[in-house]
Amino acid sequence: MTVNRITDQIWEIPASEKPGMLVPARIYATEKILTAMDRGVFEQVTNVACLPGIRRYALCMPDGHWGYGFPIGGVAAFDRDTGVISPGGVGYDINCGMRLIRTDLTLADVAPRLERLMTELFRRVPAGVGSKGFIRLNRPEFDEVMRKGARWCVERGYGWHHDLERIEEHGCIPGTDPSKVSDHAVERGISQLGTLGSGNHYLEVQVASDDRIFDKPTAAALGITGHDQIVVMVHCGSRGFGHQVASDYLKVFEKAMRRYGITVKDQQLACAPFRSPEGQDYFAAMNCAANSAFANRQVITHQIREAFSAVFERPAESLGMDIVYDVAHNIAKIERYAEGELVVHRKGSTRAFGPGRPELPEIYRQTGQPVICGGSMETGSYLLVGTDQAMQQTFGSTMHGSGRTMSRAQAKRSVRGEQLQKQMAQRGIIVKAVSMSGLAEEAGFAYKNISDVVEAVDAAGITRKVAELRPIGNIKG
Amino acid sequence: MTSSFRFLEDIALADSAFEARGDSPSELFAASARAVIETMVAPQTVSSTCTKAITRHDRSLEELLFDWLADIVYLKDAEGLVFQDVVCTVEKRQADGDWQLNGTLTGEPIDPARHELRADIKAITKHRYEVRQDNGGWIATVVMDI
Repeated sequence: MTVNRITDQIWEIPASEKPGMLVPARIYATEKILTAMDRGVFEQVTNVACLPGIRRYALCMPDGHWGYGFPIGGVAAFDRDTGVISPGGVGYDINCGMRLIRTDLTLADVAPRLERLMTELFRRVPAGVGSKGFIRLNRPEFDEVMRKGARWCVERGYGWHHDLERIEEHGCIPGTDPSKVSDHAVERGISQLGTLGSGNHYLEVQVASDDRIFDKPTAAALGITGHDQIVVMVHCGSRGFGHQVASDYLKVFEKAMRRYGITVKDQQLACAPFRSPEGQDYFAAMNCAANSAFANRQVITHQIREAFSAVFERPAESLGMDIVYDVAHNIAKIERYAEGELVVHRKGSTRAFGPGRPELPEIYRQTGQPVICGGSMETGSYLLVGTDQAMQQTFGSTMHGSGRTMSRAQAKRSVRGEQLQKQMAQRGIIVKAVSMSGLAEEAGFAYKNISDVVEAVDAAGITRKVAELRPIGNIKG
Repeated sequence: MTSSFRFLEDIALADSAFEARGDSPSELFAASARAVIETMVAPQTVSSTCTKAITRHDRSLEELLFDWLADIVYLKDAEGLVFQDVVCTVEKRQADGDWQLNGTLTGEPIDPARHELRADIKAITKHRYEVRQDNGGWIATVVMDI
């Protein structure tokens, strides 16, 4: 496949490369990362470039790897009137995303109580196969969660009012319609509010040390003050509810494509015109799932604050446990660009709006939007901010994590969960896991080096790195 | 050919995939169900305190298998159940030509203290999904989103 260098971090596959491509495909990566990318990325990003109504480019970020239909790390924007919407461009875990919570505590405060803190967090935030949360809901209440998202939680005391301005869309995306959600989806999700799930989802206690803060004024504006400050990162999504919404509408779209005469190069790219009844139904149901994910991370935040409060015997308010930000990395949204209103799909890609955008809360209007990128549980994670360049080049989008390079089975053959847990403890990282095999699958060596990925987006100018956060405690499903 | 499955490594880097085989559609469905069950839990750690009967029919054997496997994922979340064994029959109906599935899953509510839990399957996917006949036997390739 022809891949042309545009800059040291931008690579373009011309629209002439594959029959049906409507726009070129662009991959953001260093040459080293590009060379190591699996071939599926190149096939999939060029398949996306064939979808009706796509604008400018089909994009893939440097953490890209093979996904269902769209690659993970994929970004594509479609004309609202003539383009499509695709569940494959969002992913099964609708509004899987990242949340970062700051504290006033330091490593010196936490280290003596870390074991107890991790035990308390593990007890209060259920994880693993089929785990259930502590909130019992009936269907009308769950409908309210779908409509109000994190706002529903705050109204019921699971959070602070100013939490909402620190969540993408204030934790409540409009345009929901619970009647477009199947009973199956509700039954899978109604008991799971406040649960982590498994796979690559986690809750992590991390340290922000002075030597890993790259932009002190911006970090301070985001609440990251360094001096071995303790922060908490959460990675999870809409759980069984969102998974079922995605599964349901993939089936609907398979049939709808025949009706609308759309052909795609991969069954998992099933799509429908955004303006069609099927497209509108999926968008409404997806927004319900997206709000449930914001609510899920909000309830988890409440439980994290409760755990810290119990261990440090002080109210969470006095521990400075404000949310830094919460951002989705599996979602489709209507956003305005030079071309007009577009349906922007981000799958394993994070919104990264630059300074001045009206969608950003006042507190981040000058810095640009905080972007939270999770690394493997053994390495580190990053806090970045969005830039004007992202608005111009990538529909305000950037990377989301490090991206796998090794299969789950190979990782399990390379290390046992118990052995990994012990090795990490020797390096000062306490791990609590429901599944030891699941833990082995998430070993650090199974992922790309997140620092390489962050350097690529930083050099490309589509996000600016602010701080690296080092893990000291991790909870896995 | 006997009823069996094996996990595949070269299909889904971040997820999990398997190939199931059986002499008949019934055996294929049972082997596929066992692969899904074993992805989520070590079945030898699960007791048989409850059963779930599942009946479905579909013109397409592929769609029937897909929905049957999705049922196991649904029961994990909606009813909090994991399974240790499965019995099923899949036959073509004389009346309308549809494939008829009658299946029974045996297991119990999830108990992290006793069950060796593994991966929480998000969905059965259509990526490289295939059901085919080969040398008189039946083979399915299934990728699960983890």
